[in-house]
Amino acid sequence: MTQLTIDRRRLLAGTAAFAGIAGLPGLALAQQSGPIRIGTLTPLTGSGGPYGPVMVKAVKAVVDEVNAAGGVLGRKIELISEDDQTNPEAGVRAARKMIDVDKVSAILGTWASSVTTAVAPLCWESKTFLATVSGADAITQLPHQGYLIRTQPNTTLQGKKFGEFCIAEKAKRVFFVSPQTPFVKSQFDNITAAVKAAGGETGSLVYDDKKPSYRTEVDEALRFKPDAIVFGGYTPDTAVMLKDVYRAGFSGLKVAFGYSVNQKLIESVPAEVVDKTYTISPSPAEGSKAYERLVKLIGVASPDPYTTQIYDQINLVLMAIAFAGDASGTAIKDAVRKVSQAQGGTKVDNAVDGLKAIAAKQPVDYDGASGPCDFDAIGDIIDSKFRYEQVQGGKLTLVKIA
Amino acid sequence: MLSYIVFTLTLCAIYGLLALSLNLIWGGAGLVNLGLAGFFAVGAYASALATGAGAPVLLGWGAALAVGAVVGLLVTFATLRLRDDYLAIVTLGFAEVIRLVALNERWLTNGSDGISGIKAPLKAEFGTQNFALFYLGLVTLVLGLVWLLLRRLDLSPYGRALKAIREDQQLAAFAGKPVLRFKLQAFALSAAIAALAGALYAHFQSYISPDHFQPLITIYIFLAVTAGGVGRPSGAVLGAYAVVIFLEATRFMTEWVPGLQPVQLAAMREMLIGLALILVLHLKPQGILPEQIPKAPAPPASA
Repeated sequence: MTQLTIDRRRLLAGTAAFAGIAGLPGLALAQQSGPIRIGTLTPLTGSGGPYGPVMVKAVKAVVDEVNAAGGVLGRKIELISEDDQTNPEAGVRAARKMIDVDKVSAILGTWASSVTTAVAPLCWESKTFLATVSGADAITQLPHQGYLIRTQPNTTLQGKKFGEFCIAEKAKRVFFVSPQTPFVKSQFDNITAAVKAAGGETGSLVYDDKKPSYRTEVDEALRFKPDAIVFGGYTPDTAVMLKDVYRAGFSGLKVAFGYSVNQKLIESVPAEVVDKTYTISPSPAEGSKAYERLVKLIGVASPDPYTTQIYDQINLVLMAIAFAGDASGTAIKDAVRKVSQAQGGTKVDNAVDGLKAIAAKQPVDYDGASGPCDFDAIGDIIDSKFRYEQVQGGKLTLVKIA
Repeated sequence: MLSYIVFTLTLCAIYGLLALSLNLIWGGAGLVNLGLAGFFAVGAYASALATGAGAPVLLGWGAALAVGAVVGLLVTFATLRLRDDYLAIVTLGFAEVIRLVALNERWLTNGSDGISGIKAPLKAEFGTQNFALFYLGLVTLVLGLVWLLLRRLDLSPYGRALKAIREDQQLAAFAGKPVLRFKLQAFALSAAIAALAGALYAHFQSYISPDHFQPLITIYIFLAVTAGGVGRPSGAVLGAYAVVIFLEATRFMTEWVPGLQPVQLAAMREMLIGLALILVLHLKPQGILPEQIPKAPAPPASA
């Protein structure tokens, strides 16, 4: 009745193509000899695209530095960088390739919370260490058996800081606009708690982050007659939102995350649109030695929080490998807290110094570019300072660090 | 390496199911369904929620099929009077609606946190490594069955009637074919297959979130069906395998290019994918396995 019509030539071509993939070079090296492989899984395209490339650059700089100083355990570090496309489906494919083909010991820098949640099970099942910069509270509550740490403070703390700041600036009516993110609810609840405690009122609006204009959203926000608007989005949507808020003539307090209102955004919109906007972010430990080093290493004047965090992640992972004397994910998991927060350890701010101290059998306490980098049992950071800045004349000007 | 190949082949089979779904409705009935990601999501969520509430996995997959078919019917009813580009736009809108509902109805779908810890059938019994092989076998078997079914359908009078509707719906109606009923049935079946693919995906990954169902996946499937050959189930499946394998192979190709930053390599991968499509369409406009129209049977020899 029917016949299959894949002729021999096509079948051969197809088989050859597939076999070609299997035979690609450089695959499946043993884990205990040859270079130590570390993967980065950052967004290079998609909505996280503005952040990923600099993050990779920071990791690469550290790896080059450590290799120049002789590597770790006498082995070179090899960096594999994949793009998660800010999409969990693509992220999982990339992670599988790094885990199964490259046999990486650790994956660093997953950014979007959905990507991190999708990739985390692959990591703990394959005993690969995962360090992330995602903020969703649920991530550290996954059953990750210790194979996951994050350097981003969770949102409970962040929301509270935003609310308290608005009150301190004498804004009693605070309106929160945000796209639908995993942390929108806890963010708003914590802002509300802080504002209500001082007798204020809050309102919120969740918008779609892919719209080209937010006039109706802004109208709704302004009907609340806010003294302050808090922007919870990322750079692309916040730029549009700020323009429409300006067009609507809002002259009150504007507060946003440091990662959204960054130098890139400030340069991309007219100066008056973003002028006087405050930003709050988990403070990179600016002025700390690690931070200064990072600035010099990558040649970016004020690296965003994610870059400072992934810089700390690579430093910690390399030191943990050296401390454990073993490059497996399990070894990193067991050793990472012994180099990040050893009681009375030598304070170090970069892997090269840290490796020397470890070689000299000294305990090590790493203080990084994003903060003290001390972790609790489920992988959350314990302490973080926040940095308050204001846009003045097209530049971010430091107000305070507290 | 082996587990990576197993993973990739599993994904190929799931994409293959989606391609078969699209091929049925687009290649068969000529309706452009840009909402494939939406049906994929419906199936994934239906099964994840059903098994999350305690149903066994097979029942979850059954639920995905049923919900997919029902949603497919709803969409067809809503778009009865639309054809061509108009239908395409509405189905694209439908997929976005599904994604936004999944994003905002937190009580049901857990919002953008997504649903994690979805049951993987028999994983405890098999262990991680063997489970991957078992699941590959399972989805490949499902793909094979659906392929056989659709191939059978394609060559049956039913399939011929569908193609007649695709070519000229008025003429088909004039010849006495119930055009509306055919369209409804084909759309529902196609939606159910896409939903089944979603369910298989959800239990494979054990985590789904609205971010999984961006229009990107619809575009990949269109790419697969176009490259493989519209209107022929074997072509659609071949196209799906080719697309996934090509997507993955670009990772290794770009490693050979010296002196580029990772971000440039990422951009180059996307360019390679576009280039591949242009080449296929230029060299084989009908796809790699073009549609075959069976010859009309010879009239009985009259003496």
